[in-house]
Amino acid sequence: MRKFQFLLLDAGPIIKLFELGIWDEFINRCDVTIVRTVAEDEVVFAGKAEGKEYIDFGLQPWVEKGLIKIVDVEPCEVKAFYENSNILDKYDIHPGEMESLTFLYRISGDWKFCSSEGPAFAVLGFLGKSNQGISLEEILQDIGRKQSRLEWKYAKKFREKYTRIGQIDSIQGKGLL
Amino acid sequence: MDIGRKLKFAREAIGYTLKKASQESKIGESSISEFENSKREPKFSQLSRLAEVYRKTIDIFLSDEPIIEDTVLWRDKPDSAESKKTEAEFKQLCEQYRRLEVLTDEVKECSLPKPDISKPEEFTFRQAELFAKKAKKWFHLGDVPIASLKRLLEEVYYIKIFYLEYYGSSISTVSNRFGPAILLNVKSKQWRRSYDLAHELFHILTWSIFRAQSAELSESEEKLADAFASKFLMPEESIKERVESSLNEQDQISLDRLDDIAREFDVSLEAILYRVASIYRFEKPDTERYVNAAKAYLELPKSRPSHKPNKLPERYCSLAIRALNEGKLSLMQFAKYMDMSYRQAGEYLAEDEDFKDEKISISIA
Repeated sequence: MRKFQFLLLDAGPIIKLFELGIWDEFINRCDVTIVRTVAEDEVVFAGKAEGKEYIDFGLQPWVEKGLIKIVDVEPCEVKAFYENSNILDKYDIHPGEMESLTFLYRISGDWKFCSSEGPAFAVLGFLGKSNQGISLEEILQDIGRKQSRLEWKYAKKFREKYTRIGQIDSIQGKGLL
Repeated sequence: MDIGRKLKFAREAIGYTLKKASQESKIGESSISEFENSKREPKFSQLSRLAEVYRKTIDIFLSDEPIIEDTVLWRDKPDSAESKKTEAEFKQLCEQYRRLEVLTDEVKECSLPKPDISKPEEFTFRQAELFAKKAKKWFHLGDVPIASLKRLLEEVYYIKIFYLEYYGSSISTVSNRFGPAILLNVKSKQWRRSYDLAHELFHILTWSIFRAQSAELSESEEKLADAFASKFLMPEESIKERVESSLNEQDQISLDRLDDIAREFDVSLEAILYRVASIYRFEKPDTERYVNAAKAYLELPKSRPSHKPNKLPERYCSLAIRALNEGKLSLMQFAKYMDMSYRQAGEYLAEDEDFKDEKISISIA
């Protein structure tokens, strides 16, 4: 079966895949890359639920087996990205997303960023990179693992809604110049 | 200011040693030291973790602007390490509040009453009393000021008021970035917090007068703040009216009745006793005798319930929910701003049918 390539994952979808019990199957079918802040800190924070910790140890075991790839970004790259894109006043995104979006911005190739965060999709819409955003629902469908009960934040419609918000912000911003 | 210097500044601002910073961040002590001395630069993930540990936003380490620490005033400041940690948490909440205001386009300026004098040395107890009257009138607070004071300061005058559990009493600041803000201690009794709120309000209202001269708080300024709080929370006319309607045939008022009045004004029995003593000009030995009797009275098992407040202001929470659903604030940030788990935070994310749709908007025209 064809593998889904160039996929950058955010914390929300990772947690969901663990909840659904299909994480291992997913990383077999997708070439997954994750920025370090998401892999080491935010997955742990997001995984903490009352009385249950899904991934209290981070993703190191899968990194060691070479099943997923972790990437680092330098602070100066993030700084340059944010100074050029002028998005900090408009959206408050968490550091893992800042790192992910910077990575996406600097890398060439047909990369997709899978998130469950409205502002992440809004930033892509704002920067005219809507085609680089993807919802978990869309990937699961693509790899033939369609789920019937995914929450709103993992849906295609969610991605579309917030991408559109970013596109509108961009148009309005240009109108003011 | 480069990243290294900013990291050192931020670590010292929260009162952490290198060892403590290392324990909290799980980054080696020598690495942190090397970052601070610009011997090597941290990875973004390390910078992000240190920013979180130091209670700063990552943005300030990426910006070219220097970090500016606002002056914070303490009533009964505890030891340095504890107070720095509390200050860092308080400032972080204030910065988050301002961020929410910016994201939702709700940054508001408000005009607060100012005293009629401009020099600290001209501020006497009489001036504090007159200023309390002026402020009460300005805020339209009515007979029992505390009844609506906190809500008014938060919702109409946009003063940021938070509650945390910490060592020490109340804190206030006026920042160029996020405006006036007050921190009250959850561990204090409700009536103590009311008094603290009025006390800190004095500092905020007189900030431009006293802070222009010194960042340090003097004993005399604290006494003026206490005098202001007393007059502000317990207006002479209101207290006289309550006391005189409760007198018995011998023109005396029982401690029970006085405690009822204290409850109505949300102050302690001791505070109202001092206020009554001041209004009716009691002799000092008499005042002390009554205060001792009040202390004995308070040991009886009939204490007033003290309401435990929420840490975060309602307006803050409301702006956070709005920013989340407008796609301005990520769910992860929302969870951190609201001090809840990521899973709990998800419950605040509205489904597709948002309430801004024209079909369900309320027409006023």
